[in-house]
Amino acid sequence: MNDAIKMQISAFVDGELPDAEADLLLRRMSQDAELRKQAAEYLEMGRAMRGEAAVPGIERLQERIAAELEDKAPDSAEAADDPAPNRAVRPLVGVALAASVALLAIVGLQFTGSVPDGPVVDAGSMADTGDSGSYTVPAPVDDELVQYYQSHGATTSELGANGMNARLVNLRLSTEVVEEEEPDAADDESAAEEPTTQP
Amino acid sequence: MRTAVFKSLLWPVFLAGQLGYASAAMAERIEPNEWLGRMGSAVQSTNYEGTVIRIQDGKAEALKVIHTVTDGVIREKVVAQEGNGLEIIRNGNEVHCILPDRKSVLVEEWDDQSTLFSTLPSSKVRFGSEYDVAVVREDRIAGRRAILVAIRPHDGYRYGHRIWLDVETAFPLKTQLIAEDGTALEQVMFADITLNGEILASALAPSYSTEDFRWFDRPSRHVSRNVETEWQSNDLPQGFRAMATHGEKMQGSEEVVTHILYSDGLANVSVFIAAADGEGRNGHSRVGGSNSYQAVVDGFQVTAVGEVPAMTVEQIARSMTRP
Repeated sequence: MNDAIKMQISAFVDGELPDAEADLLLRRMSQDAELRKQAAEYLEMGRAMRGEAAVPGIERLQERIAAELEDKAPDSAEAADDPAPNRAVRPLVGVALAASVALLAIVGLQFTGSVPDGPVVDAGSMADTGDSGSYTVPAPVDDELVQYYQSHGATTSELGANGMNARLVNLRLSTEVVEEEEPDAADDESAAEEPTTQP
Repeated sequence: MRTAVFKSLLWPVFLAGQLGYASAAMAERIEPNEWLGRMGSAVQSTNYEGTVIRIQDGKAEALKVIHTVTDGVIREKVVAQEGNGLEIIRNGNEVHCILPDRKSVLVEEWDDQSTLFSTLPSSKVRFGSEYDVAVVREDRIAGRRAILVAIRPHDGYRYGHRIWLDVETAFPLKTQLIAEDGTALEQVMFADITLNGEILASALAPSYSTEDFRWFDRPSRHVSRNVETEWQSNDLPQGFRAMATHGEKMQGSEEVVTHILYSDGLANVSVFIAAADGEGRNGHSRVGGSNSYQAVVDGFQVTAVGEVPAMTVEQIARSMTRP
């Protein structure tokens, strides 16, 4: 990547690139992961320069969810032993792996807060870390709060209000625990009630 | 002679310039609310495919999107360009999220018409006196002529929006959520897009064979609508009013949580009221432009969530009371 393109990206993330050039750059970014990465790095630098908090713990959260998913991935032996057709035979327990979670994986788990574990941090310890009246706050990592975000998104979408933003937020939410029911009688019942062929 | 030929050659250029100027002027003369109305119709009926760049919280990512609407049924395919090739396939209300590396498919119901790149705001939204809406200028986005519509709040209790609409179809090509200091909190924009082109059904099919994948269903929400509640806010920010009250069971719990939705016509804030657990929780959280605030009020855990600034959710949560 040459310096010219780096300067162009820098101008772009600062909102100083003329529309026509931004247009071209966006097209290139859509085809080039390296350019997107560079843009993200500049944005991150901008955040740091503005004094916004770093995101300690985000890597751990990402790793943890990835690990959870890994744990639940079927191994070949299990798959071979599973006589049930795969479609819709595994309801999830509690706040479990949902499409939203995977969508979150798509958009990269870009929480801006800290605190990968435990309850949400008290406002007193977090709310005054930003300047100029802005807040630097943790992302929601407890099940209950995540469900509230999701419920809010679903409700506003149903009302036809501001659907995009709410949906995008939903896409970025995650549960902290991915649980899967072990195959048992309940599963068998469920399987009997559900379609057994691929859609 | 040469001059005459030169003039005759230039004339079409001049004419095209004038027509372009006239159509640009015409686009800017259309009332901003009419643009938003057109946008509401466009997002419900436009077929499109393209590449979207999302920038939020210091990250940029690209998504390939294909979207059709046939007889009111939305079909959509979204493919992440980074990572492990995850795909989202929507067919009507059913959404499949395919994780090829996990050999898993996650199934979710979306019982609404909103899509990944849905309406903002919808045509149902009616602006009160809390915002100004203006046509700002004409731009070019994704190689197309676009008109920039700005929605500016009058105070710091809500965010602004900037929406670039395709001049020809009023489809949103780019959107920004604007903080009080004028910076963009979130940005979604098409790098390239084809509107209302032919989209084959095969283009919406999964890229992977999911035959030997495992499928997971997400339990549906348990919601009782239009319940009565004594809870209300005694200090709502101006322009907000209660839109609906639900009783809702959260997953993994039998407790019914009271859910009150407040709106100013564009910004929405949900307030959830549940029995406090132990000492309860207090404080802020944030995801992108969405903020939440939790407080213990009168022995209950009150949580306000919305696409509004942090101070708005805090004020609303703290103002909840019951006689």
